[in-house]
Amino acid sequence: MLIILKPGQGLLYMKVGTHAQESLEDIIVRKTREIELAGFALWGYGGSTCHPQTMVQPFARSFEQRGQTIYLCMQPMESSHFAEPIRAEEYSVDGLAWQPIPQAINVLGSRYALAIRGLRKEEFDLPLAKTKVALGNSMGSNGDRYIAGRVDKACLEITEEIDTPVVPEPKVHISLVAEIVKPYAVHVRNSPK
Amino acid sequence: MAGDQKDIDLRTAINAISDVVQNRPRPLRLFDQIYMKAGDMVLQSELVARWADGKKLAFIGDGDAISVCVAYLHAREILEYGPSEIVVFDFDERICGAVSRFADKERLTGLRAELYNCLDAFPGPLDFDCFYTNPPWGASNDGESVKVFAQRGMEATSYRGEGMVVIADDVDLEWPKRVLANVQQFIIGAGFFVQRMMPQLHRYHLDDAPNLRSCNLIVKALPDNEAPGPSTAISDAARLAHFYGRDNPPKVRYIRERKRLDYGKAHDDEYSLELLE
Repeated sequence: MLIILKPGQGLLYMKVGTHAQESLEDIIVRKTREIELAGFALWGYGGSTCHPQTMVQPFARSFEQRGQTIYLCMQPMESSHFAEPIRAEEYSVDGLAWQPIPQAINVLGSRYALAIRGLRKEEFDLPLAKTKVALGNSMGSNGDRYIAGRVDKACLEITEEIDTPVVPEPKVHISLVAEIVKPYAVHVRNSPK
Repeated sequence: MAGDQKDIDLRTAINAISDVVQNRPRPLRLFDQIYMKAGDMVLQSELVARWADGKKLAFIGDGDAISVCVAYLHAREILEYGPSEIVVFDFDERICGAVSRFADKERLTGLRAELYNCLDAFPGPLDFDCFYTNPPWGASNDGESVKVFAQRGMEATSYRGEGMVVIADDVDLEWPKRVLANVQQFIIGAGFFVQRMMPQLHRYHLDDAPNLRSCNLIVKALPDNEAPGPSTAISDAARLAHFYGRDNPPKVRYIRERKRLDYGKAHDDEYSLELLE
């Protein structure tokens, strides 16, 4: 199903590339296989701009309550990521109760992971200037100004201006999408404490 | 308040702040522990020391360790002024431990820490002259989390003292303006007034909003103000529903410290040694 950008739509934008010394193409193949085997995959990530508990979970929950599917919209980029490809053994929704990660799923070199399915290549332009940060300390900030410097991912909401053409306007090209599914985002760790 | 800002030896002051920063536990973002940048800590500590000169000062939470900076700068005579006594109330045992260890090591006799969760009734004493708090800023709760910390601060002074509340302040964003308005209304409703507001002063190690700054809201009790009643626990679900962000009510009473012998040093589980042949 093609993604249609409309006012009020929530999406999680993320720049993606090599992660934990593994190319994006290899990651896509591996995650697609995980979804076939387990019904979902865990897409690893780091940083604290999309913390599972304070950002992604409440964001996804609120938009799902409005009847929306939350899409992960990914912009491929050239990157080096030298984190060790250490497999996470456990995941937790709340950072308190931990469960083993199913054997079919491998999260490598990450502290957090998004629960996804429907991973596919889909090409479209996302006008970041017509989005705003949906929650957190930068809530209300323009998406184009927010995604700068070291900030490479965000929980965004499409604004009313999406239907108003402005030329020229800054856009990013999305090439890879997935649906975010419950429990939306989790903590992961490689060994029990 | 001591007089106007005096000249200080900036190099010595920054090096003292560096000692304090080295001693702090690493922040837990889940609990909105977001640390102020070092340059702003120097200026903020000088201001707090001057504002609370000769007074008994309660810190309602203090991940930044401004309390330690103020006590240390005064004890080392980098500042000629400072509070007579400082007590830090924090629910993170790592922070309380770091304050206590630093106070012991540097012989800061007027500084101590007490493990306390601000949802519990304030344990006292209630004879503080002033309070300081830099709480969770309440982006998702219209300042309700700020009100909880400010309430405990006002209780620490028996609603008769002064306070410095450090909260977000931004020209462009809407939510800090709502929080500032709500907090000021709350404080006025408790018999205080806003004595001074110092806008957009401090920056933080905050990767999702690196340019977001905070202000100092300095408040003071009206003459003859009275406490509305004894301090009680806060359990109102509506008030706490978004305490640490949207849909994130408090679930943890205390953050407990895993005791170790190498505080402030590299942990031995961070590395291994490969010996020379």
